[in-house]
Amino acid sequence: MPPNTRIPRRTFLKAVAVTAGTAGIATALPTGSAAASGGSTGSTEDLAEEHAGDRGLLIDLTRCVGCGRCVDACKAENELPWREDQPARGPDAVLASANWSVVRSEGRVGADGEPRYVKTQCMHCLDPACASACFVKALHKQDNGIVAYDPTICVGCRYCLMACPFSAPSFDWDATFGRVTKCDLCDERAERGEPTACSEACPTGAITFGSRGELLEEAHRRIAERPDRYVDHVYGEREVGGTSILYVSDVPFEELGFATGLPTEPLPSYTWEISQLIPPTAAGLGLTLIALYARRRQVLRAHEASEAGATEMEART
Amino acid sequence: MSGGSVQHAPIRGRWGFGFTWVRLVLFALGALGVLAITYRLIFGLGVATNLNDDWPWGLWVWWDVLTGVALAGGGYSTVLVVNFLGRERYRHIERAACLTSLIGYLLVCGGLGLDLGRWFNAWRPLVSWGYHSVMFELFICVSGYTIVQVIEFLYVFDERLPLPRIVRTVLSKIYVPVLIVGVVLPFLHQSALGSLYVIAKGRLDPLWWSMLLPLFFLVSSFYVGPAMVTVENFLSAHAQGRRPPIDVLSGMVRFAGKLMTWYLVLRVGDLAVRGILPRVWEGSVQSQLLLLEVVVGVAVPAALFLVRSTRRQPFWLATGGALAVLGVALGRANVVFTAMADSAHGATYVPSLVELAVTVGLISIGILAYLFVVENFPILTKEEAAEATSHVVERTMLPAPLRPRPSYAASARPRPAARPSRGRRAEVRVRRSPPSG
Repeated sequence: MPPNTRIPRRTFLKAVAVTAGTAGIATALPTGSAAASGGSTGSTEDLAEEHAGDRGLLIDLTRCVGCGRCVDACKAENELPWREDQPARGPDAVLASANWSVVRSEGRVGADGEPRYVKTQCMHCLDPACASACFVKALHKQDNGIVAYDPTICVGCRYCLMACPFSAPSFDWDATFGRVTKCDLCDERAERGEPTACSEACPTGAITFGSRGELLEEAHRRIAERPDRYVDHVYGEREVGGTSILYVSDVPFEELGFATGLPTEPLPSYTWEISQLIPPTAAGLGLTLIALYARRRQVLRAHEASEAGATEMEART
Repeated sequence: MSGGSVQHAPIRGRWGFGFTWVRLVLFALGALGVLAITYRLIFGLGVATNLNDDWPWGLWVWWDVLTGVALAGGGYSTVLVVNFLGRERYRHIERAACLTSLIGYLLVCGGLGLDLGRWFNAWRPLVSWGYHSVMFELFICVSGYTIVQVIEFLYVFDERLPLPRIVRTVLSKIYVPVLIVGVVLPFLHQSALGSLYVIAKGRLDPLWWSMLLPLFFLVSSFYVGPAMVTVENFLSAHAQGRRPPIDVLSGMVRFAGKLMTWYLVLRVGDLAVRGILPRVWEGSVQSQLLLLEVVVGVAVPAALFLVRSTRRQPFWLATGGALAVLGVALGRANVVFTAMADSAHGATYVPSLVELAVTVGLISIGILAYLFVVENFPILTKEEAAEATSHVVERTMLPAPLRPRPSYAASARPRPAARPSRGRRAEVRVRRSPPSG
């Protein structure tokens, strides 16, 4: 909304300087920080190498009998209530505010006509979409590989829920000030150098705890030893750039309710491709506008001058 | 500035805000909305809304944020066209467009704030920069642009209620940077609303997921500007008993029509390049809604805008404007709801009554705010304001039964009886009399 005033030339020049300066800072900022955050632009191989020492789990679906001890242990470790509206076991088991880890049973899908059980929790991606989506860094990937959450700075926008391809984060809808909830790979136990509660509780050896690099080797070793038994796919090796939770199975993953068809590039890299265009676009746009405005001012000046001349002529006659 | 070529004036000479039945209803809806907001703030999102883990975003994100920001795009596009591209004839409607935009953004901030589960942390992004998140860009740009628009409004405010000298001095010095930032920021966040969904590649239907989402959102926000200004002009002209400026509007929508053609080419080209164009004819709910969005919401209004004979007829002009606006709203809904449906694990989402009450309440408050400002601040041109004055001042009064003392009783026209029904009929007659200005 324009005022009916004229702008002094000096103000205009200052405007040019300020806009150009801001654009410059904006350009410098995210570029520098991108290098610091790493990951976002790295290839899957680089990511795997970088995160070989990360805390992880290998879940062997051929060994799971669906006893649910891991769920009990998780609930006890994290002091989570059992809620009737949030089944943690059975066919309807679903990750929710009180369910950080569940065991879902999948009908009689095996070649043997037996059901299969899928332990599900946060996948702890190597380059997590949720952390990249979080605009206050309430979610971030720790050095030990855990995707951790800090409720004290979380704004509660739930963009992380939208971004996660595995639907892992949940929101505590019932609270007045709900928080995001998900598996933290037993962060407190990690500080004491202990494995996760779920892997410790597993009686059949279906959950192996270790570093991601070792677990990946172990997964490939099992597949190579029994190629007749296992599907030749380590789920989590390449999905969205790789995850710290890995699965091997004798039933194709798409039949077990896994998110399949995911890209092998980390999801944040898609956003990044666009985001890095923003600073130059803003700077270019700002400069274009300044140029347009300057040109327009000249036209208006000329117009005003000729009008003033005309008025003078009238006055003389 | 050549702003001097257009003189603005408030509709009312003295401060005031009359009431009609419509405005009373809006007030009631607004009050209901405030109640619903209080309820949501006290009891939390779970009780107040039907959102869930599979549908973390719903009505408020669709309407109050995505659609609200797009429809408020008439402000920055008009500023760009008038002040930077030098199309002086649109200066006519600049202030009205900017006012709609300002109120729109204030509502967006309100709606966005309510959607935050932990809103007391809303200041955190200022110190904890999640710069890699599109949401961060959105937060900075939307709040920054809202402040810019408030500053822009101060120039208008000053014409009605003179500001302290120091404020005026500052305002006169920062005018150009404010104007420039006020165009750059919307460009960024209009596209950011599209980028927001790029990371949801694992969940969004490929019919909508595209790396070009930010471009689609940007271009559609730009062309919906003129369409929204058209709709808004028709509505307010009707309410204020003046003729909508068909010449100005038809010029604007012609430009919109050209942009929409480009948009169509981009959308179809994108589907073709990604090899899923055949899916458009698969007959699923998704494909049908996509067709509805693109054909009825873009192609048809684009045609109405591009053909000279239709865009100069008030009926077709208004129809085209309304279709383009609805098309953008449907386009946003398709991204928020239709494209997410398959990845929601069978869960459904229907907005709760509280969610509806909040959205309807915010819209009502916005309309009332617009009416108040237009009547009391120099938004319309002098001629438009004069045309509206007699009409609005006569009409915007409490409905007869609620009116303490009919203020037009003193007018020359004698009223046959004091019965309310007659009174209202008398009012109608006054309204139909030619404007005295």
